[in-house]
Parts: sequence; C-alpha cells; structure tokens
Amino acid sequence: MNRDPHQQARELIACGSQGLTDSQQTWLQIHLDQCASCHDYAQAAEQFVRSLRSVPVAADPSLVRSTQMRVRVHAQQLQQRQERLWLVWMSCIVVGLSAAITTPLLWRGFEWIGEWAHVSSPVWQVGFMVFWISPALAASLIFLARGVHLTDTNGTSRG
Amino acid sequence: MNAAACYFVNGMESETSAIARGLRRRDPDLLDRLIEQYQHRLLRYLIYLTSNRELAEDMFQETWIRVLERGHQYDPKYEFSTWLLSIARHLTVDYLRKKKPTSLDGLLDEEEGISLDPPDLRPSALEMIAQQEQSEQISAALVGIAAEYREAIVLRFQEGLALDEIAAVTGAPLGTVKSRLYRGLNALLPRLKGAQA
Repeated sequence: MNRDPHQQARELIACGSQGLTDSQQTWLQIHLDQCASCHDYAQAAEQFVRSLRSVPVAADPSLVRSTQMRVRVHAQQLQQRQERLWLVWMSCIVVGLSAAITTPLLWRGFEWIGEWAHVSSPVWQVGFMVFWISPALAASLIFLARGVHLTDTNGTSRG
Repeated sequence: MNAAACYFVNGMESETSAIARGLRRRDPDLLDRLIEQYQHRLLRYLIYLTSNRELAEDMFQETWIRVLERGHQYDPKYEFSTWLLSIARHLTVDYLRKKKPTSLDGLLDEEEGISLDPPDLRPSALEMIAQQEQSEQISAALVGIAAEYREAIVLRFQEGLALDEIAAVTGAPLGTVKSRLYRGLNALLPRLKGAQA
C-alpha cells in the first residue's frame, strides 16, 4: 500500500533533518522541490524552530545559587546520615560478635551458679534468658520512649 | 569509525564516566558545576513542561536534589543531559499527577500562563519588544497544544535531542515520539500562522 507522500514528507520534516538518513533526506528534497504545499510547510517549520530557539528563557542567578546551596546542605545531611548508619552497622557487628563469644561462657557461668546454689535447670536457664535479653529490652524501651516523645513533639509543633 | 569520531566518542565516555564517579561520591563541586552548566536547558524544559515558571523553578531545585540522591544510578553509557531531563520529567509528572490525576494538560492554568522573562542582553527597546512579542506568540501556541506534543517538540527543536534520546527521556517508543512530533507540529503551525496573520 502506497502512503500519502505529503504526509510522509511532513512526518520527515517533523523528525528534523538530523534525524533522517541520507536516502530520506534526498527523497524529501526531491518532494519539496515538486510540492509547493509541503515546501511552505517545511519553511514554516524551519521558521518556527528558529523562533523557538530565539525565545529567551534564562535561569535566574539567585535560583542557581539557592539550588547549589540546597544541594550542598542536603549532601552534608546525607553524608552525616551515612556516617550514622555506618556506625549503627559497626555496632551491630561488634555486638553480634561479642554475643557469639560471650553467650557460651555466660551459659556455662549460669550453669555453674545453678549447680552451686542447688536450683533446678529451668530456673537458672530462665535467669540466663532474662540476663541475656535485658540489654536489648532496655534499649528497645529507650528507643520506643524516644520515638513517642518525638512524635508528640512533632504533633504539638504542627498543631 | 574514523579517528575523529572515535576520539569524540571516547571523550564523551570519559566525561560521562567522570560525572558518574563524581555523582557516586556526591561531590558538591561537581554538582555546582553541573547546575551551572545545565541551568538554562533544564529550566527551559521544565517551563515548557509545566507552563508555569514558579512550578518549573521548584521542580528545578527538586531535580538537582534527586540527582544528588540518585546519582549512583546514573549510567555513563548515556548522556548526562538525557538522564537529567528524564529525572526532571518523572518528578514533574509525579507532582502533576498528585495535583490533578487526569492529565498533564489539565494542569495548565490559563490564568497563570507562561511568564518567560526577557533576557539579560537588551540590545534595543524595539528589538526587545519584537522579541517579547515573538516569545509570547510561541509560548501561547505551545501552551495551546497537548502537553506530550509540546514536550516532544521542545526536546527535539529547542534542546536538540535525538529521537532516541527523546524516547529515553519520555519513556515512549520511538514511533510514538515521531508521531508526537508530527502531530504537534501539525497542531502548532496553523496557530502560529493565525497569530502572525
């Protein structure tokens, strides 16, 4: 099926000369030489592109400066956040390692105390569990209280 | 590939690689330089995309913040400008969708229109008036066509992006980009003719 050559020419014009292959450019040039209507269309498009490029749109220097400032401040915040995160990860690793090393020793210690005090195994085992999870429990409670406090503060300041 | 073309391609790759490395490090000096370098292109694109200078300026700042945050995602195989414009586009479209979820065109506020500031270079009062009139005609004609056509036209004819780069920025297939350019130009030229008559 043959396509309408005028539509085809206008589609090629709309793509811009840099987007065309050599053969497309040659075909378009021949068509424009023969077709006054498409020639006018091409000229109008060319005029529009010239006008569009001459439209002065410049960024305000104060916009550029404030953007640069915002980006720098945000970069610092991200850097600090990353450092904090790194610290948290390192703490987790240290805590994990120390737990892995000390847990068997603590277990032995509780077992020995249990035997020495003549208490049944479940009793010293419960004691061990309480002792073992108490730091994590205390830390969780502190973080929870701090979170609630921050939420309250934000809520009050918004209200 | 001849030696000059090879040199050009390698030069471009090393520049984009340097940008990628700097973005991964969140180098503030590099970002300052990029903001300086791409300020006009980015703002122009955003103004035509949003049809609102204030919103475009907000999006301008948000775009650079996003560049800072997502810099590690930049692939140096592509032009930095293409990546930058696609970030700006995503942010703007997200913002406009949140504001009014129907379409981009629904956001065009006819009362606000486009406020294109005159340039700093002011050769003469007459030239300035003529330039201002021409700017207003072009802006009015562009605002009158669908946002996706306007975007394709601005990227192609003002920013000089290749068709595949426009496809990358807009996330549309190449055929759709061509069709938008064709339809956009068809919608635009009669408006300009009408304005000049």
